[in-house]
Amino acid sequence: MFSLTRRRVTGLMAGVALVAGLGAAQAQEDDIVIGGSIPLTGVFAFAGVAIEAGMQDYIKQVNEAGGIGGRNLRLAYEDTGYKVDQSVAVFNKLTSQDEIHLYYGDSTGFAKTIAPELNRMGGMIMGGASFASELNDPEEHPYMFMAGPDYSEMIAILMEYIAEETPGARIVLVNSDTEFGRDPIESSRAKAAELGLEIVEEIITPPTAVDVSTEVLKLRRARPDYTIFHGYILAPLPEFMTQAQQLGLETKFMGTFWSMDSSIWDSVGEPADGFMGVMPYRYYYDEEAGAPTMAKIREMRPEYQATGYMQGYLSAMLMAESARRVLEAGQELTGTNLKAAMNTIEDFDTGGLIGIPISIPGNSVPVGRVYQYSAAEKKMQPVSDWITVKE
Amino acid sequence: MIIGTAKETYRADAALLTTQPQRVWMAIFLAALLVLPFVLDAYWLYLVCLAMINVGAATGLNILTGYTGLVSLGQAAFMAVGAYTVAWLEREAGTPMLVNLAAAGGVAAAVGVLVGIPSLRVKGLYLAIATIAASFILHFVFVHWVPVTGGASGISVPPASFFGIELVTYFRLYWVILPVTALMVLGAANLFRTRIGRAFIAVRDRDISAEVLGIPLLRYKLMSFGIASFYAGVSGGLWAYFFRVVTPESFPLLASIFLLAAIIVGGMGTILGGIIGAIFMTLAPEMLRFVVEWVSPWVPNAGTLLSPLRTVVFGAMIVGFLVFEPQGIAEIVARVRRYFRLWPFRT
Repeated sequence: MFSLTRRRVTGLMAGVALVAGLGAAQAQEDDIVIGGSIPLTGVFAFAGVAIEAGMQDYIKQVNEAGGIGGRNLRLAYEDTGYKVDQSVAVFNKLTSQDEIHLYYGDSTGFAKTIAPELNRMGGMIMGGASFASELNDPEEHPYMFMAGPDYSEMIAILMEYIAEETPGARIVLVNSDTEFGRDPIESSRAKAAELGLEIVEEIITPPTAVDVSTEVLKLRRARPDYTIFHGYILAPLPEFMTQAQQLGLETKFMGTFWSMDSSIWDSVGEPADGFMGVMPYRYYYDEEAGAPTMAKIREMRPEYQATGYMQGYLSAMLMAESARRVLEAGQELTGTNLKAAMNTIEDFDTGGLIGIPISIPGNSVPVGRVYQYSAAEKKMQPVSDWITVKE
Repeated sequence: MIIGTAKETYRADAALLTTQPQRVWMAIFLAALLVLPFVLDAYWLYLVCLAMINVGAATGLNILTGYTGLVSLGQAAFMAVGAYTVAWLEREAGTPMLVNLAAAGGVAAAVGVLVGIPSLRVKGLYLAIATIAASFILHFVFVHWVPVTGGASGISVPPASFFGIELVTYFRLYWVILPVTALMVLGAANLFRTRIGRAFIAVRDRDISAEVLGIPLLRYKLMSFGIASFYAGVSGGLWAYFFRVVTPESFPLLASIFLLAAIIVGGMGTILGGIIGAIFMTLAPEMLRFVVEWVSPWVPNAGTLLSPLRTVVFGAMIVGFLVFEPQGIAEIVARVRRYFRLWPFRT
């Protein structure tokens, strides 16, 4: 009788695996592939999952409308755990499997590491989760773009709002001790001088700081009108805000893109009330008229989507639009052509994702709006118009 | 079947490869290494190069921790020193690549000797903490010594050039990384045939007895730190040429833990263990990714669902090794060799 020894079972399993592997779905040859190094695990996982969802939803919409020039869009992505060497490994793997002209990178570190390779290959343009000011240089990084303002532009938007509300205000900058955190400090000083605002203190904390009592004391000594955080996601902002309230400080707190997702503030409650910041997109629950994209998103996804979703959605939108323009002009999909096509995007209507029509003259979309968090409604309310930063 | 290897000269006794099958396997391995870059695509070449860089650093750590018994969690910081040295030299001086690598090793060795000075007074766990402290101090230096290290945004390294050929593809980089790593591993293997190597082992086994036997402890411990840091520095330099950007966040504490895990999994105290451990730890995440890919026809969105599992499996593997095979993969290899020594007769 054919007895199932362990050896035979292993052999059978290996055989099945081989057959199954061969039968795996064959990719369409003429798909336009968007490659993605996406952080699905690790510290940035909440953003990565949302970004992937946003990109997939936009791609689905494009394909349902007939694709680009008859070709389907496809997202080929893998997890990177927000580690640079894994991102590079994924990049190498995806580019060796498919012909990729559009790429989404997961971090500033990855973007900087892959930049020389990108410039050498010249076959693709790259967007990503990084809004680093260093990448916003069309000469150094001709194939990079970002679906929003860079960090310096974000702080500039906040400062323009402050200069209008409280001319000559006193500001404290609180940054995390990472490349991400230290990114906009220099240009913030310049912009403050230009707008007549006074930076009274610059505080640097470790990125994963828990005890910030010494920094709050510095804040008390400085007595600023506004405190701008950058380089953090959530922690240690609630700590700062709670302790400052206890000390009776009257300063208003502000943050940048990655601190501005409203769902992360929901669990903080009362201390989060009044927190302001800059966001280039509309929020999921924004029901203002004239925003068909937001209505479409709510239709596709009944549950709340974080701001990373909008970032991914817009990145896919810009990539698809550039590819469409290149193909309509009868050109080849190369990095130079795609970037040139992207730079022809002028007064482009995003369907309300960003409130005003956008142009991309360089590497970024320097538009944003200041929002304020309302703890009672658990929502971010807009408190300013759409501000465009001019170079 | 090998019944015994009778050696008739001292030279034969001290040889690295003693049996004929060993020599044959080594020849096949070297031939495979030479053929590899012609058959692999960019993705696999990238992994092989990265694995070799880790082999160099892990071998250094093996000399320090596996053979001399000085637990160090600062190996990644020494790699960073080497990487920054190479980056700075490439940017400021136009010195050739090999000179830069040697300088990287030298500077890292000097820093390593400095870090090793407490090792006479503190041992074991406390030395590990001292090396962690050293890595934090070095991180602070990298972030704040802006004119040299470029601060938080780091240094972009221009590509290495060898006699005018720019090393921009993984294929070309392979032909630099391979000989450098091979030389380092050969050097490490040779080290333990000499008096210095035996002194290291004596320090590991019982350092007080070693001192009684006449081995000056501080000198040999510092030598061990210096050699291990030299290896880390050269590997860090290769890393800088490979990734072409060096930032303070390129070599976090986790990287030191990665290297320590590599030598534990591979087998502390054996050269083969360092090599196998580094290759295993570098390729393991990729293997797990293949599992995710293999499952994806049946499980849609497998990437998002299974990726968190990857980190768990990774840690479980390390713990599994420590529980079931504490002497590492090298011991499994040794067991296989012992089995074949009397094959086809059962032992």
